[in-house]
Amino acid sequence: MTALELAERAVGHAEPGALAQVVRERSLLLRFAAGRPTQATAVDDVTVELAVIRRGHVGRAETNATDDESLVSCARRAAAAAASAAAAGDGVYPGFPARSEAPSFDGGHDAATAALDPGQGGAALGAAFEVAAEAGLEAHGIWTAAEVEHAVMAGGAALTERTTDAYMKVICIGRDGGRSGYAARTAVGAAELDPRGLAARAAAKALRSGEPAELAPGEYPVVFESHGVGTLLDLLGFSAFNGLAHAEGRGALSDRLGAKVAAPAVNLSDSPRFARTLPRAFDAEGTPKAPLPLIQDGVAHRVVHDVRSAALAGAASTGHALAPGGAPYGPHPTNLVLAGGGAANEDELCASVERGIYVTRLWYGNVVRPKETLVTAVTRDGTFLIEDGQVTRPLHDLRLTDSVLAILSAVEALTASLQLTSEGEFYGRRFATGVACPALRAAAVRFTGPAG
Amino acid sequence: MDSARSRADYADARFVRTRSERLSTRNGALDELDSYEGEGIGVRVRVGGAWGFAAVRGSARPDAEAALARALQVAAAQPPAHLALPLAPEPPALGTWESAAARDPFDVSLADKLAVLLAADSGLRTDRGIAVALAGFQALRVEKVFASTEGALCEQHLTECGGGIAAVAVNGDESQVRSFPASHGGHVAQGGYEHFTALDLPGEAPRVAAEAVALLSAPACPPGRTTLVLAGEQLGLQVHESVGHAVELDRVLGREASYAGTSFVPADGIGSLRFGSELVNVTADATNPGGLGSYRWDDEGVEGRPVAIVRDGVLAGFLSSRETAAEIGLERSGGCMRAEGFARQPIVRMTNVNLEPGAAGTLEDLIADTGDGLLIETNRSWSIDNKRLHFQFEGEAAWEIRDGRRGRLLRNPSYAGLTPEFWASCDAVCSASEWSLISLLDCGKGEPGQLMRVSHGSAPARFRDVEVGVA
Repeated sequence: MTALELAERAVGHAEPGALAQVVRERSLLLRFAAGRPTQATAVDDVTVELAVIRRGHVGRAETNATDDESLVSCARRAAAAAASAAAAGDGVYPGFPARSEAPSFDGGHDAATAALDPGQGGAALGAAFEVAAEAGLEAHGIWTAAEVEHAVMAGGAALTERTTDAYMKVICIGRDGGRSGYAARTAVGAAELDPRGLAARAAAKALRSGEPAELAPGEYPVVFESHGVGTLLDLLGFSAFNGLAHAEGRGALSDRLGAKVAAPAVNLSDSPRFARTLPRAFDAEGTPKAPLPLIQDGVAHRVVHDVRSAALAGAASTGHALAPGGAPYGPHPTNLVLAGGGAANEDELCASVERGIYVTRLWYGNVVRPKETLVTAVTRDGTFLIEDGQVTRPLHDLRLTDSVLAILSAVEALTASLQLTSEGEFYGRRFATGVACPALRAAAVRFTGPAG
Repeated sequence: MDSARSRADYADARFVRTRSERLSTRNGALDELDSYEGEGIGVRVRVGGAWGFAAVRGSARPDAEAALARALQVAAAQPPAHLALPLAPEPPALGTWESAAARDPFDVSLADKLAVLLAADSGLRTDRGIAVALAGFQALRVEKVFASTEGALCEQHLTECGGGIAAVAVNGDESQVRSFPASHGGHVAQGGYEHFTALDLPGEAPRVAAEAVALLSAPACPPGRTTLVLAGEQLGLQVHESVGHAVELDRVLGREASYAGTSFVPADGIGSLRFGSELVNVTADATNPGGLGSYRWDDEGVEGRPVAIVRDGVLAGFLSSRETAAEIGLERSGGCMRAEGFARQPIVRMTNVNLEPGAAGTLEDLIADTGDGLLIETNRSWSIDNKRLHFQFEGEAAWEIRDGRRGRLLRNPSYAGLTPEFWASCDAVCSASEWSLISLLDCGKGEPGQLMRVSHGSAPARFRDVEVGVA
């Protein structure tokens, strides 16, 4: 049974006007550490979610059972939830989106990846182990692939899409636990992952020669690889582009739309059809997704909305609901794309830096004060000193504590090419996202202490 | 397991049925009212040292057979594991266990729960400076059956319940939040509806709102070095991040290097690594009543028990599994393997990792004894490096301590430190009368990711010469 057929059955058991969302996940994830496999997880599961509206309130219920009795029970729980809320007064939810047809995006599915062949994963691990061992290092990381089938049925609209995603990261570490190097790739198809190339890049970072230098806390020019940029932009998504926070006056762009918030070279959008992202056609409420400019030429333009936040803001949903009725923490941009610049590569970005920091990736990022877009994170797996325009030697890791918008205001140059970046985190039902972005150079970034 | 015995060196299966309910209000209206019911089977096999795990929904024999076949296929496809030590021995887990709950939270009507939340929500909005008022309730029931090819067969029923409130105040470019009894979802305990009502969210709401508004105009926490008193959630999180994660044996052995990270703690550090001052005693205890890390057996059938982690400031033990315990020669696993639901395989997690009480009396006694310093109770933001050495925390609010008295409210308090130095600077821990559990509901670890719910017991503690005002 397809996800759409299951959604149709589920909504048939619910009261008129209900919404059904079905997500079926088939995934495979192989972990490895110190050059050997450590864990392997295969998942085949489905979530059926029913949402019912009463007097502007949305009641939801979920199950992973697909028999009629369970679907009827799920429908009853959703109706009871909505009725209980309605008894307390009127809510603000205006209704599920009107009948719509979501555009079908090409390129979001790869049939070979959908086969979830553990042999392909095993071969990827073997290749990474071999390359690392040849360099005298040990490989750590994951290889994963998935097919997710998503369907939403509401108000006569019947939307469905099948997508695949694949991800591999390799961290090479010396057997003595010394320096480490990182490389990762996110793609629609597992064939694009290039395990040998990832392991080689990670190994090269780990083997970079020289005694690690230490830098005192302070502001430094920084060249971020795209992985580091992606982490910063994802954190910005929570603090600046969340339409619910914006409508409530606690968002970083509240009263700042139309104002300059970043350097003129910064053009950021949510682009669900962009070729190098993970394309998605509609959100959890069945609202079609479309390209949305967020920052244009350094000026803040839009925030993202689900139906609820849009109602509060007097706007229209932009197709960024994470749950029917809106998630409690609000909508989130899941296809961020930062436009590239004119630099050929990271070396060119370094060329004008007299003394600065090269950051491969940021880790354990957390928002400190969302209204200021103040975040903190540590550098990891490839931090280097830039001297006189060149990467010269490794650097002890550092803690970054700065405003993301301040960093974007200090952007001087970006590479022309973009990379789809991701942390490869798959909590709950699999929902792969990534940030497509270039590497960039920022004139001044604040570091508050050591790390690692 | 009959099918698995001849096809794997070891295998286990967990059937897990989960029921959850979440209610929350936002500015006097429903924010979320959601429930989930699901069940499935996760089968884990070990073949030649390689693990395979597969999860399928359902509970019928064909579902279990399908999961077993997929787990075996996945294990066989991986490169040779080379290292295949026997698992640390463990007698088969047999029996049943159920956590205590006086009043089943799922038997209480939605209307009654909403009434409590709306009363609290209303109390938060008594101050006009509040932009967002939030009140939340949650309940969780997990029923699980564990069986292994070594003859284990046990069943456990766990019930959790709790909630919290938060008020966000906004004025121009300034935004401040106050929460009760903790941020990040409130306080949840293993127990029944009685735990939720005992929180008295409506009674606390006006104070919480007033503090949020007061923070808008409070002076910022000044940078410098000072004496720091930690209590409640912030102390629990400090234990969690800098002690609990640091002593997870899979991290210590490098198994988590690619995601959660490693640890500054060496595998041979028991009895020799100085972790803190002689006042620092930490125990991982899966038998604490009400703890979210409490159970009779972990998710590979090892009986939960108290495990000494730090004694008199010296490392005394690890959080471990049967595989990791065997690797460093421990006689027995610490019983710390836990999985989120049926669709994730067990990994080393915290139970209830507790800072044992000291003899410094009450919090007010400690403040009186402190002279000048800073008190932080509630967390706003946290981050720590991948070796669990350098950390940086921000609280929602701080109180200045002047001449042994609680003084001005300060906004944006933050502090940073180095784990062993920080714990070495601990020169007072309050007495047992001040000791209580707090909950952390979203501890992330593992690939694919697993959110685990844990508790930490502590009494307020004092740390000297700490760097503050760093963010």
